[in-house]
Amino acid sequence: MKKIDKNKLILGIAAPVLAIVAALAITSVIILATGKDPIHAYLVMADFGSKSDSQVWIINKAVPYYLSALAVAIGFRMNLFNIGVDGQYRIAAFFAAVVGGALTLPGFLQIPIIIIVAMLVGSVWAGIAGLLKTTRGVSEVITTIMLNAIAAAVIGYFLQDGRLAVKDGNLFHTPNLPASSHFFTIPTQPAPLDGFLVIAVVVGFVYWFVLNRTRFGFDLRTVGQSESAAEAGGVSVQRMIVTSMLLSGAAAGLIGMPTLLGSSYNYGTDFPIGIGFTGIAIALLGRNHPLGMAAAALLWGFLERTGTQLEFEDYQQEIVGVMQGVIVLCVVVAYELVRRYGLRLQQRQVGAELAAQARKTEKAEVSS
Amino acid sequence: MELRGITKRFPGVVANHDIDITIHRGTVHALVGENGAGKSTLMKILYGMQKPDEGTIRIDGDQVSFHSPADAIARGIGMVHQHFMLADNLTVLENVVLGGEKLHGIGAKARAEILKISDRYGLGVRPDVLVEDLGVADRQRVEILKVLYRGARTLILDEPTAVLVPQEVDALFDNLRELKAEGLTVIFISHKLGEVLSVADDITVIRRGTTVASVVPGETTPKQLAELMVGSELPSPQTRESTVTDVKMLQVEGLRLTTADAEGVERTVLEDVSLTIHKGEVLGIAGVEGNGQAELVEAIMGMRDPDGGTITLDGIDISHLPTRTRREDGIGYIPEDRHRHGLLLEAPLWENRILGHVTQKPNAKGRLLDLKAARADTERIVAEYDVRTPGIEVTAASLSGGNQQKLIFGREMSHHPKLLIAAHPTRGVDVGAQAQIWDQIRTARHEGLAVLLISADLDELIGLSDGLRVMYRGRLVADADPATITPEELGSAMTGAASGHLTHSDNDSAAEQEPRSSQEGESE
Amino acid sequence: MHRVSKIVAAGIATAALTLSLSACGESSTESGGKDKGVGLAFDVGGRDDHSFNEAAARGVDKAEKDFGVKSKMMTAKNGETEADREQRLSSLAEAGYNPVIGVGFNYGKSVNKVAKQFPKTTFGVVDSASQAKNVYGMVFAENEASYLAGVAATLKSKTHKVGFIGGVNNALIQKFQAGFEQGVKDTDPKTKVTSEYLYANDDKGFNDPAAAKGKAKGMLDAGIDVIYTAAGQSGNGSIETVAGKKGTWAIGVDSDQYLQPGLAQYKNSILTSVMKNVDVAVYDLVKSVHDKKPLTGNKSYTLKDDGVRLSTSGGFIKDIQAKIDAAKKKIASGQVKVSETPAKQ
Repeated sequence: MKKIDKNKLILGIAAPVLAIVAALAITSVIILATGKDPIHAYLVMADFGSKSDSQVWIINKAVPYYLSALAVAIGFRMNLFNIGVDGQYRIAAFFAAVVGGALTLPGFLQIPIIIIVAMLVGSVWAGIAGLLKTTRGVSEVITTIMLNAIAAAVIGYFLQDGRLAVKDGNLFHTPNLPASSHFFTIPTQPAPLDGFLVIAVVVGFVYWFVLNRTRFGFDLRTVGQSESAAEAGGVSVQRMIVTSMLLSGAAAGLIGMPTLLGSSYNYGTDFPIGIGFTGIAIALLGRNHPLGMAAAALLWGFLERTGTQLEFEDYQQEIVGVMQGVIVLCVVVAYELVRRYGLRLQQRQVGAELAAQARKTEKAEVSS
Repeated sequence: MELRGITKRFPGVVANHDIDITIHRGTVHALVGENGAGKSTLMKILYGMQKPDEGTIRIDGDQVSFHSPADAIARGIGMVHQHFMLADNLTVLENVVLGGEKLHGIGAKARAEILKISDRYGLGVRPDVLVEDLGVADRQRVEILKVLYRGARTLILDEPTAVLVPQEVDALFDNLRELKAEGLTVIFISHKLGEVLSVADDITVIRRGTTVASVVPGETTPKQLAELMVGSELPSPQTRESTVTDVKMLQVEGLRLTTADAEGVERTVLEDVSLTIHKGEVLGIAGVEGNGQAELVEAIMGMRDPDGGTITLDGIDISHLPTRTRREDGIGYIPEDRHRHGLLLEAPLWENRILGHVTQKPNAKGRLLDLKAARADTERIVAEYDVRTPGIEVTAASLSGGNQQKLIFGREMSHHPKLLIAAHPTRGVDVGAQAQIWDQIRTARHEGLAVLLISADLDELIGLSDGLRVMYRGRLVADADPATITPEELGSAMTGAASGHLTHSDNDSAAEQEPRSSQEGESE
Repeated sequence: MHRVSKIVAAGIATAALTLSLSACGESSTESGGKDKGVGLAFDVGGRDDHSFNEAAARGVDKAEKDFGVKSKMMTAKNGETEADREQRLSSLAEAGYNPVIGVGFNYGKSVNKVAKQFPKTTFGVVDSASQAKNVYGMVFAENEASYLAGVAATLKSKTHKVGFIGGVNNALIQKFQAGFEQGVKDTDPKTKVTSEYLYANDDKGFNDPAAAKGKAKGMLDAGIDVIYTAAGQSGNGSIETVAGKKGTWAIGVDSDQYLQPGLAQYKNSILTSVMKNVDVAVYDLVKSVHDKKPLTGNKSYTLKDDGVRLSTSGGFIKDIQAKIDAAKKKIASGQVKVSETPAKQ
């Protein structure tokens, strides 16, 4: 028993270490191939990344990434591939911005209303894919990709002067939110941390708690591990698909909130896009684990922060993108290798222990 | 062919060690041993799917080392797997040439070759029929032909009779004799001793991963062989004293179920199925697999919604209730395929203990899980049902089949079901666990449990059941009294040859019955 | 064991985070560099987009030749956030580049925000307005030059069908569309204008030549024989497609695309280009900083003062030059007001 747990711990550490070593090795080769010094690049990144303003930047950047990874992970735990997180958070943020811009209420009402609208819109958008899957058998991969395009088109239609947006120089954006809807910040030096960090931590905890400590979470994980066993065990797989898509969409609705409530205060043509796809990479990297994804989101932020700095040292801009890709690949491969190895190791140990037991009883039989 | 000192340290329950076997050309060599004794591993080594850690394999005196099945095929060794590896939507010809296109092409030459082989060994294979239209026995012959087509001189058959009814078994044995007469070697893996004795020239017994004896059929009896296999006395599924009450526990009336196949064509899989199981009664359903047993179970479990008829459990109409409610109402379920329906293979044992009973005590408190209680109760099941495991944190996949089954059985019985649906409860389970499961079913029955038993093992069915029904093409076509019926009589009803109430007729040759009645029949 | 390890892991992670936050007190802004030259932050597409970015780069190149300033050019990725742009600008400022210029309206907010953190550095932004003391905002009357493109297209079209392709349906590109459509309508009300966009609101539209190819192909198939594309780098795709069909014309944008080496093989299909003199504007700013008299505030580059114009390279519009000049005069004199937003259809 103890032996297995010790192995578990070693294996748990082995996977990320293996992945990082492999990723560093591959990236080094690529940098060398461009005729540059990889070690210097890592030193530049480490140095720049450890600066206090870099840290604030990284954490603020990681917050939406983390929320996005959670949204994706809810699907992953169910064996559903919600590629549509990107469209979900954009359309959610857009309508939340429209509602928020039209209301002027005190902050304690206004902010929750905006967030709830975002979560609702996100879940409705994701729920469409869930319903199509359960009623028509359409793969959620296809529908969510399509819904991304539809979301972009819907936003594009409404985000015009005279529809739901106003013109501001060369930008269109929804009317600005009143000052009451500005989210709080955590005063740190040299720049403040985004207050939504607190929400992200809470959502991460809720994700962990619901999945691991509730009946509902158990059902969800069961479906993810074996749909047939779940069905035989009394889980309504169809309903579970819709529910988890709704939850995934609701979480996706939160992704745009740090930006909307914390910096842009409107949804404009310059609203960040693509965070939903980043979330897929981060969920993969963090193995759907709330802490793993937090680490992955921070790592992502770190790479993006320090990658710019590499350009000043005459490294190619694309190096960071390559690094991100390589890390995800290495992590996926390393975890799968370690998982299989662990499973085999465990089987062998169980076998060995049972064989030992059997030999003992056999001897006892012989001697009696 | 000679195997000397084969040892395989292998992830799993039983490693092979010090295996010594000599197989003579032109014989049928049987390899017997209980499930999990290491027969399949040994065959995988012989077929190049696994590499032995120690030991040598010699063929015609040459030492060989196989790295892949292709190497084995090159040396004339072919394998017919227990689970057929055929593409349903292709014809027999296409299946045979698939992967072997280089041998005789894919056209007329290949067809001629197939027909030649078929005639030579009396396989009666029709090359242009779609595999999906073939029965189990025909598919098996296609598998054999596939191997012969690739030039095999030695055939390994892994549990070939598991899926066949007695009549088909006889036909298979005729084919094997043909092969032998043509100078081919057959390695035949089985744990059904009657069959082994009737067809084999030599028998090697494997127990706990090693060879314990080599015998010749003429010099042994099924009982001796069985004891060699198990290493101790034999269990029996017999339950004769009746505990049947007149309280109706499960009533199925006129159940009808249709299903749409891939092309959207509606097909009736259950038609007018009616049965009643009382408290304390075990009702056995016999039938060749694929005749609606699985669908019947799924309809009772609520995994399929019936198109007609009613299902009543203890006076409550449950025809359209969700599976979870039915489980909460007291249906226990031992699924046919425990890996697909009974376990989360990569989850620890204690999570598997929660599976299917997540809403019930001790697993849940309100809407939250009670992990502490669930873990404690898993420990209890492990101890009480003798699940051999180093702990409850190991994954279900690392347990042997028998121990997995004991865990499932323990889990289902821990919720004191009113009705237990046991589909093939001892399939792939070693003899020790088999006896234990039979014992527990008997005990629970004594305490008033109603059991729906579905099994391909006719001896198990006859031995455990209070009543027997035969299922054929989605209907219950016959019933029989387990006290008098023989496996052969049941077998002919399973192929649709007999219906109505089956009675035992004494002019059925008793001599033929003797070798067929395998291990369980002996201890009477 | 199982639980403990999780709690330990959580503890370590938290501790590591707080430690690293507190331990390294130094901010990266405190370790700045010296005057290094011009920092240029591009929008998507990079300096070799043969169009908008390249025009800006040309201005810097000229400054480099004329008075030897060095430069650093950085490019945006698809799907950037405000934080990415801010970081790029502040990195340039920190490293000691002066002036720091954001090329493209996407930098509108970030330039003005970052500028406040670096009061000693001069910032510039193309296509957006200045809102800070040390920012020079360069905006262009694209609608006016596009009007002339509309006039030229109408006069050159044989099928009396002309097309407009915009990269992204935003306010800036709508200025191009509005001017073009008005120019067509004022020249010949019977000529039909088809206006389409590659993307509704994704900046990828400036960086997706394949999408432009598809749109252009569709328009050609519909009988349109003059296509005006305002889509940054994507425009290359459209020009390439138009060049593949005889008797059709492409109208380029931002730079004089006839002269661009990268498009040399298609140049005989490029009727003219709507030029924004971004290079001139950028050069002015760089020079002003070099001369220690940094420009600030807003500057509008219009048709009147040749801040925007129609290129004549290749001489394909020589025959209609008179009519174009007449139209230009009307705009310059204020007789014709060119709308900035397309008429509702």
